[in-house]
Amino acid sequence: MALLRFENVTKVFPALTKNDKPIRAIDAVSFEMEGHVFVTLVGPSGCGKSTLLNITSGVDSPTSGQVSFAQNGAAPRIGYVFQDPRLLPWRSVLDNLLYVSDEDKATASQKAQTYLDMVGLGSFANLYPGQLSGGMQQRVGIARAFSVDPDLLLMDEPFSHLDAITAEGLREQLQDIWNETRKMVLFVTHDVREAVELSNRVIMMAPGGRIFADIEIDLPYPRRASDRAVAVLQAEILGRFDEMRAEIPSAKTG
Amino acid sequence: MNKSSALGRNLALPPNGVGRLQKLFSSNWGARLSAYIAFLIIWQLVALIVPRAPGPVPVFTFIWIEISGGSHGGVLRGQFLQHFIVTLQRFSLGLVMAVVSGALLGILIGSLPFFRALLNDTLLVFLALPAIIWAFLTTMWFGIGPRAPIVTTLLTAAPFVAVNVAQGVRAITPDLHRMSAAFGVPLSKRLRHLILPAVTGYLFAGIRFAIIIGWNGVLLSEWFGAAEGVGWRTRFWYDANRYRGFVGWVVIFIIFIVLLDRLALTPIQQYAFRWRDAQAQSSETTKSSMASS
Repeated sequence: MALLRFENVTKVFPALTKNDKPIRAIDAVSFEMEGHVFVTLVGPSGCGKSTLLNITSGVDSPTSGQVSFAQNGAAPRIGYVFQDPRLLPWRSVLDNLLYVSDEDKATASQKAQTYLDMVGLGSFANLYPGQLSGGMQQRVGIARAFSVDPDLLLMDEPFSHLDAITAEGLREQLQDIWNETRKMVLFVTHDVREAVELSNRVIMMAPGGRIFADIEIDLPYPRRASDRAVAVLQAEILGRFDEMRAEIPSAKTG
Repeated sequence: MNKSSALGRNLALPPNGVGRLQKLFSSNWGARLSAYIAFLIIWQLVALIVPRAPGPVPVFTFIWIEISGGSHGGVLRGQFLQHFIVTLQRFSLGLVMAVVSGALLGILIGSLPFFRALLNDTLLVFLALPAIIWAFLTTMWFGIGPRAPIVTTLLTAAPFVAVNVAQGVRAITPDLHRMSAAFGVPLSKRLRHLILPAVTGYLFAGIRFAIIIGWNGVLLSEWFGAAEGVGWRTRFWYDANRYRGFVGWVVIFIIFIVLLDRLALTPIQQYAFRWRDAQAQSSETTKSSMASS
């Protein structure tokens, strides 16, 4: 079973000018996740959530500490869903999915088609991204991330730029795909309700890049944002953020 | 909808003969035609005022004789194809080398700060050097023959391609690079499917400049350092004091450049940017009908 481990991961961005202080984005973060889990990092903006995701994907490197991924010894394949779709406008939807694949064209096309069908865009494979709406483009981004058959799926506030109704539809779709494909997901959001609805574990981050709380969520899937239990848990976690704000003065502005 | 034609309709008189004529001239196609006609009229006027300037009629008569191989009087006969083909070969060879080397340089300068620091000023020097300097230098280096015009074309055109492509590479949003890095897309694939398509527009702008400036270069170089070719033939008429011949060849250059642009460059550009047209054509109605599915 796949195991993702963060050991004392710290990231310090050097000061840009003489008068600035270096910025500590992540401070000695350690946790583990294993198997078919959906872990969400939630916290106010500027608490190092996205930086942690970038370090996990290898786009950025930690100042100290390390991230390791164990999966039968092989290097993990990573799928990434960004805040915005980040598609190549000059390639068709299908070709955008093929762009990130390292498999032969026939296999890759078949997988791409499967995941496009899954997000409901099977018949739009030959259109250009510019011909689709924003929500559809974001669904292409999700299909692209799943189509590389990732051992680990990283999602950085993927629904934050969408309208509420589209976002809710995609969250429900994501739960189904996650359950069907049994991928390990590390999800970043500042939306507590979204975190509770989607994940089976929520890690609360505090400003300064430390873990404030690590909460298991044991509710059955599929969940809806309107479920009573989801709403109750959401209120509980928001209560914990109030505690955080009382404990850490800098969190008030964050 | 075409802006000029809409304007034309508003200003047009009721649909009588004058109104229709006005409409013709204010349409996109008509406006272009009017420019050519105005140019010919001004040319004719200048020819009437300036005694040694040949007008359009003798010049086009000359072009016809030169192309058809008729007699220019005496033993002189028209020679078009042999010179034109020789120059075209030199020009295309120099241009292809300029586009390939310019694009490679541009990608290096655009993506790596080291190359930017190393070559930015050098490139500026090359841009500042006029074609005529290269024409002289290459003639001194290689003597009379095909090499001087080819190298002149290469050296005058390549910097323009490089500058434009470098700008295009720098304009690629870092988000797409980060996306590629996150998915571990190899560099060769990124070059082919991310960088090259992203700089296509800039590359075409560069090629347009390269064609004009390279054509300049090849003609100048042939003027000084060749025994045949379009530049040599133009000088032949200049030296023979036959101005209609000289102007005739200048007109041939212009027609060639315009045809090259309209018949070759524009269609290729349209093909390369078909994704943009598809985007423009997909109307809001298709978008909303798709979204509801």
